[in-house]
Amino acid sequence: MALPGWMLYLIHTLFPADTRRPTELGADVLIIATGAILFYILIIKGRWRHVWTEWITTVDHKKIAVLYLIGAIAMLFRAGVDALMLRTQLALPHQHLLSALEYDQLFTTHGTIMIFFMAMPFIFALFNAVIPLQIGSRDVAFPRLNAMSFWLFAFGALLLNMSFVVGGSPSAGWTAYPPLSENVFLPGVGQNYYLMSLLIAGIGTTMTGINFVVTILRMRAPGMTLMKLPLFAWSALMTSALIIFAFPPLTVALSMTLIDRLFQSSFFTLGHGGMPMMYVNLFWLFGHPEVYIVVLPAFGIFSEVVATFSSKRLFGYEVMVASLVSIMFLAYGTWVHHFFTMGAGPAVNAFFGLSTMLIAIPTGVKIFNWIFTMWGGRIRMTVAMLYQMAFIPTFVIGGATGIILATVPVDYQFHNTYFLVAHFHNVLIGGTLFGLLSGMYYWWPKMFGMKLDEHQGKWAFWLFFLGFWVTFFPQYLLGLEGMQRRMNTYPFGLGWHLLNVISTIGAFGMGAAFIVLVYNVVWSLRYGERDLTGDAWDGRTLEWAISSPAPEYNFARIPVITDRDPWWAMKESGATLANSLSPADIHAIEMPKNTPVPFLLGASFFLFGFGMVFSWWYVAVLGLLCVIATLIYSGFNYEEHALLTADVIRGTEASLGRLQA
Amino acid sequence: MAEPRTAPEQSAREEGLEFLEPRVHGEGFPMAQVFGYGGSLLLTFGSFFLVTRHLMPPVILLAVILTLAIGQAALQLGVFMHIRESRGPAWQLMPLGLAFFIALGMIGMSIWIMMFKAGVS
Ligand code: HEM
Ligand SMILES: [Cu+2]
Repeated sequence: MALPGWMLYLIHTLFPADTRRPTELGADVLIIATGAILFYILIIKGRWRHVWTEWITTVDHKKIAVLYLIGAIAMLFRAGVDALMLRTQLALPHQHLLSALEYDQLFTTHGTIMIFFMAMPFIFALFNAVIPLQIGSRDVAFPRLNAMSFWLFAFGALLLNMSFVVGGSPSAGWTAYPPLSENVFLPGVGQNYYLMSLLIAGIGTTMTGINFVVTILRMRAPGMTLMKLPLFAWSALMTSALIIFAFPPLTVALSMTLIDRLFQSSFFTLGHGGMPMMYVNLFWLFGHPEVYIVVLPAFGIFSEVVATFSSKRLFGYEVMVASLVSIMFLAYGTWVHHFFTMGAGPAVNAFFGLSTMLIAIPTGVKIFNWIFTMWGGRIRMTVAMLYQMAFIPTFVIGGATGIILATVPVDYQFHNTYFLVAHFHNVLIGGTLFGLLSGMYYWWPKMFGMKLDEHQGKWAFWLFFLGFWVTFFPQYLLGLEGMQRRMNTYPFGLGWHLLNVISTIGAFGMGAAFIVLVYNVVWSLRYGERDLTGDAWDGRTLEWAISSPAPEYNFARIPVITDRDPWWAMKESGATLANSLSPADIHAIEMPKNTPVPFLLGASFFLFGFGMVFSWWYVAVLGLLCVIATLIYSGFNYEEHALLTADVIRGTEASLGRLQA
Repeated sequence: MAEPRTAPEQSAREEGLEFLEPRVHGEGFPMAQVFGYGGSLLLTFGSFFLVTRHLMPPVILLAVILTLAIGQAALQLGVFMHIRESRGPAWQLMPLGLAFFIALGMIGMSIWIMMFKAGVS
């Protein structure tokens, strides 16, 4: 049977050989099955209306937080499966379960997804869930922009994940250095997917950064001076400051590569006077601040968790703030340590080696302050606190190996070996992931109104913690023995065999931890202990003063802040929000209305991105026109607020038992 | 986009929340913004044109597009970045100062790095 030419073209372009391997076909089956289930739930059981009005069109920061969290956990699964496939391949020498190309594709999507589509949305989930409540605000400064950020992230993530089954995955690593990432070497659409998805998600991330800077600077409750701001909010402010100035260099680097690939310019090509090393400079100009973007929120989370579970005021608040601010500045001045071997010269390398080591000072100060907070406190070993306890030694070792790598002559030996791989997983898992999981267990009651089961949570914790060390400690040794990163297999007889087996066992331990974690979440959603007080952990900051989950308007009356731990102070003086609210205090509140604009904007960008990936210009232009149309519609839509009357609010507060009779 | 706020009939001032009150100034057509947008596009395409047509020797070309770039930055700051507005403390100036500080550092250090002064090291 002869197919018409255009169909052959479509099949050839959309499903090239590397999307027809067994793993991809397996994924196809999974996707179709998930699609069928969604179709059943949404269409046949008619839940689409609920999903549309309550979730897709929402501008409520608390619901956006939930959406981000779902996205982050799904991406953790996807990138985790990638990692397990990589480790399976490396378990034994001279193995060929995966082809070299497939191996490259898997580590590329693993890294890209973990950083951009797991860590970032997880962070934004917690920012959205907590920051407005912590600073006594009714929402973020720009609720609609916030929803736009989410949908840009979601459609960016969709674009990148789609590459696996449609068109072919990128394969130049999460750093995507040219000249490898240029057309000459990788002519398929994979790199275009990488570039477009990060550009689209990057717009959303930048908008989130701006949103939270404005929210924290301008929306604090009266009395909450900057020196009364909770540390998690401080860390969000510094993270946002890093986002705003670090993402532009990435955007520039990615756009220039895209123009090289799609329009045959030669910014980074080998020939025609291109300068691939400029990409490396631009990428790390973003890349180093990025690693602090993902770790500062963890610092903030731990500062909240450690104070609550030690039942003590945080030790050295001012110093903590000062070190956050100085880390923010220093993070902008260390990027060369990722390419010492490029050979910019001894003066440059020495300068950036020193500046890198300088960051260890404020970081060390913070570690000491967390320990001093625990000192003499009444410590409760909850799951959130366990992650905090595990974080301290793990992160110290990650920082110490970072210092080793920052020593230029040493880095010439270790650069791009498994020693480096172990270092950054040490700080990313031990710092970022442990921090985010700690925050998730800590704020879960506030987000969902019930606790995550502690017993199951401890199982997940120990599997994660031990699995982490079993996976990555051997990798330090492998690095010392000369094993390079990103090799798809290795020969017998180099002494790497046993260490690789151990590492793979540890990786499966973390895989088991993920399964327990998901079980923990699902079980607790159904049977978990309800939190009726709103103050599940005997907390200190403002978010614990309101009910769990928070009502739509957060605070019926905006509180006036007099103390750094306002809720603790209120509890001490016996004047809780619960009994201080009289019906006369409650007034009508104007709330932003739901809108389909953010979702449509994301979908339009998706169409645009898809067209660009395949160089189908009509599709791309159509997508761009949709973007513009959505923005114009949004700009002329003046009815963006609805009034929540005082009676409705009184009703809600009374049903929560928070109104004086 | 406005933030959620207390109803207008309630005196926000009593709660110290006056900064949340919307400020509606009876504006006409946003001439300045349209002009700023058009001007920015013009400057961008101007430098693009100059570069692709190789109209001048490289050093002069670089100087000219740098001038255009600075002009564009100034235009956007003036038109879009609310430099001249304020109610109470001018909060917007602090991030702007930070932006200048960090951008100058990034540019200066990048030039230093990319000069490859030492040849081989
Ligand atoms: C005291 C703190 C730290 C120091 C001194 C440090 C130092 C370094 C150095 C010198 C390198 C480059 C090594 C090479 O490529 O040969 C490096 C790589 C890396 N670091 Fe760190 N680091 C620190 C903390 C962190 C933190 C907190 C994170 C993230 C949460 C992080 C994430 C990474 C990543 C992702 C890479 C490698 C990226 C890649 O090449 O793909 N580091 N670090
Ligand atoms: Cu770095």
